Amino acid sequence: MEKINKTFPGVVALDDVSIDLRKGEVLGILGENGAGKSTLIKILAGTYQKNSGKIEIDGKVVEFKNPAEAMSEGIRVIYQELNTLENLTVAENIFLGEQELKKSFPIINWRKMIKESRRILGQLKMDINPNTVMEDLAVSEKQVVEIAKAISKRAKILVMDEPTAALSEEDKDSLFEIIKTLKDSGVSIIYISHRLKEMFEITDRITVLRDGRKIDTVETKKSNDNQLVTMMVGRDISEMYPKRKVPIGEVLMKVKNLKAEGIKDVSFELRRGEILGIFGLLGSGKTHLVKALFGANPITGGEVYLNDEKVSIKKPWQARDNSIGLVPVDRKMEGLALMLGVKENITLANIKDLGKGFLIKKSLEAEKAKKWISSLGISTPSINQEVNSLSGGNQQKVVLARWLETGSKVIILNEPTRGIDVGSKVEIYKLMQDLCEKGAAVIMISSELPEILSISDRILVISAGKINCEFGTDEATEEKLMQTACIR
Amino acid sequence: MADDREGTAVKKQKKFFISNTITLVMVLIAMFIFFSLASRHFLSTYNILSMVSNLSFMGIVAAVLTMVMISGEIDFSIGGNIGLTSVVAAILIEGGVPGILVVAICLVMGCAIGVFNGFLVTVVGVNSIIATVGTMSVWRGLAYTFSDGRSVLAIDPVIDFLGRGSVFNIPFPIILFVIVFAISYVVMNLSKWGRKIYSIGVNPMASFLSGINVKQVKFLAFVFCGLAAALGGLILTSLSMVGMPQHGQGLELTIISAILLGGTALGGGKGQILGTLTGILILSVLYNGLTMLDVYYYHVQIAQGAVLIAVVATYEVRQKRLQQ
Repeated sequence: MEKINKTFPGVVALDDVSIDLRKGEVLGILGENGAGKSTLIKILAGTYQKNSGKIEIDGKVVEFKNPAEAMSEGIRVIYQELNTLENLTVAENIFLGEQELKKSFPIINWRKMIKESRRILGQLKMDINPNTVMEDLAVSEKQVVEIAKAISKRAKILVMDEPTAALSEEDKDSLFEIIKTLKDSGVSIIYISHRLKEMFEITDRITVLRDGRKIDTVETKKSNDNQLVTMMVGRDISEMYPKRKVPIGEVLMKVKNLKAEGIKDVSFELRRGEILGIFGLLGSGKTHLVKALFGANPITGGEVYLNDEKVSIKKPWQARDNSIGLVPVDRKMEGLALMLGVKENITLANIKDLGKGFLIKKSLEAEKAKKWISSLGISTPSINQEVNSLSGGNQQKVVLARWLETGSKVIILNEPTRGIDVGSKVEIYKLMQDLCEKGAAVIMISSELPEILSISDRILVISAGKINCEFGTDEATEEKLMQTACIR
Repeated sequence: MADDREGTAVKKQKKFFISNTITLVMVLIAMFIFFSLASRHFLSTYNILSMVSNLSFMGIVAAVLTMVMISGEIDFSIGGNIGLTSVVAAILIEGGVPGILVVAICLVMGCAIGVFNGFLVTVVGVNSIIATVGTMSVWRGLAYTFSDGRSVLAIDPVIDFLGRGSVFNIPFPIILFVIVFAISYVVMNLSKWGRKIYSIGVNPMASFLSGINVKQVKFLAFVFCGLAAALGGLILTSLSMVGMPQHGQGLELTIISAILLGGTALGGGKGQILGTLTGILILSVLYNGLTMLDVYYYHVQIAQGAVLIAVVATYEVRQKRLQQ
């Protein structure tokens, strides 16, 4: 891929990025969230169209208008979110859309399909019955099926986007075994991750992206942690995760034996001035916990206390009226009304204070919007700008501004820095600590290990709907968190 | 650099927004000029006043239905509501109920119809297209049942005044029309409730997670819509002097066409009360003007459909160009 450019409204996602992939190698693509990894891959896979640049495979220039064209060139992508159909069998998933027909009569050749599935799964050294229905498999097994699907038709280039996000340590090891097998059979693999350790374990070379630009490509063996981190974040680690000492006060929120959808039994205390980190893998119940605390999912048992007073939060407006704010995990789907302006989005949770009585006082609203835009440093040409055109970091600040405007004292942030650039990340961390200094408290749900280790005052680990363990920041390490997160 | 780019994006957006509304108004003016030149009778005071009186009841319903549609829902039962209201009003008058009470009863019934639609959509969770296509046929059927399929004469001083009375020589339906539009404009552009309608239409999940009671807001929009349709039904009864179960048949599609013509998006979140006003005016001028020119009614229908498609297609093409 040479000099690939891609812009979205208001952002340059890729700026003259070139990568080269050799036959039978594992090329790691390393970068923070928002560095452009996913965009690059989507262009390679034909999901997005590049604005300029060219793609060459085996010396031949190719042009992909859609994913089908990329597939026919042998490019297969396994995305972070699994794309398996839960109510079909393993064999059906592997041959989805490419079922072979019998020669004599145009019906599906089941016997051959199942035999082929066995062969491919055997090649991956996995013992899964092709007739099992997908929903009965574990996450790691589903991922193997995805890989089987990808290599069922000869794959030249296999792209794996954050494949270990939902995997335990053991599952990861077996995935790496599979990758090595594939590599030996001549498949070239692009391995995308922001986890450094994995990069050293599995890749031959590493290309680092930052803010839509390629920084460099290095031989894995000749590189080290520090070099990569500096390339990845463009600054020192200590600047990356600024942490101030904020005095921690009395208990602000107390949750006792909370039960809800996906939550079996959760208890914790949150103190004024504190950032409470909650770490969990995909499917651990962390997002369910957020929704239950905010009244978006019904609570089936347990109690919540605010300032020692028992509160009943059944709906989000009750949460809001009890000074709880939520910055949801999916900004675009759950956080923002994208087609509305910055101003409307900032005041969204507190429309009632926009004037006396029935009408909105426009000057008051503009004043409020301007106040938060300047105090949070939101970069926008005007208060009426559609939030859709802002960068991820500025969008996240708009969501945060909404809860500041509402006067929230307990702010729950679910993956606060997902998909935003490094500079904005640092600002978000600073804002979280500003809040704490002003007497609020923050619950930060995150799956980013360095973030949760550096920013939290205390860390809870959630798994299978239960809090497994609590760590102080000095005793917590990446290994300990991962280990407890994998206990079921 | 980045700031420059964002700057031009804003400029483009503004231009786009203005030109969309302006194009629509220009189409309206062009039509107006064309028909004034083509037909001697078009521009007469009599024709204009009767045209506006006739569109007033549609306009009243359209203004309020615009709110429902911006919130991301739809109400197909307005036509049935109009038919039922008209029959009930006429039967009550026939039974000797005083006019002012008839109006009150019909408006309350309109609210009740809205409550039922709102209940189906927000509490039970039925898709609003299905729910209101269903209730459309129920209200219409009830109208036929109550009237036994016949037309009922509806003569009463209060009812007469609603559709055919005038204040300072201005027909009363036009006054009602202007009042309803003014209220709708204020609600949608200046009020807190209108802000909630827009945000719900743009992103119901984000609105819910910001503490907006999405169901309650939508429910209320349906109630207002039922009320507006009942008012429209009363005006139509007065204009035609009879209560007929056929009143308002097919009107839901004309009104929804006008709203879409005015730039409201079917999926919600986008739309303007003034756009709907222009849409209603365009359809009415087209209908009235072509009729004046002795164009065959069937052909008028073709023209109305063509205008709707042409305008909405232009919106889409523009939108695409803007995105590129």
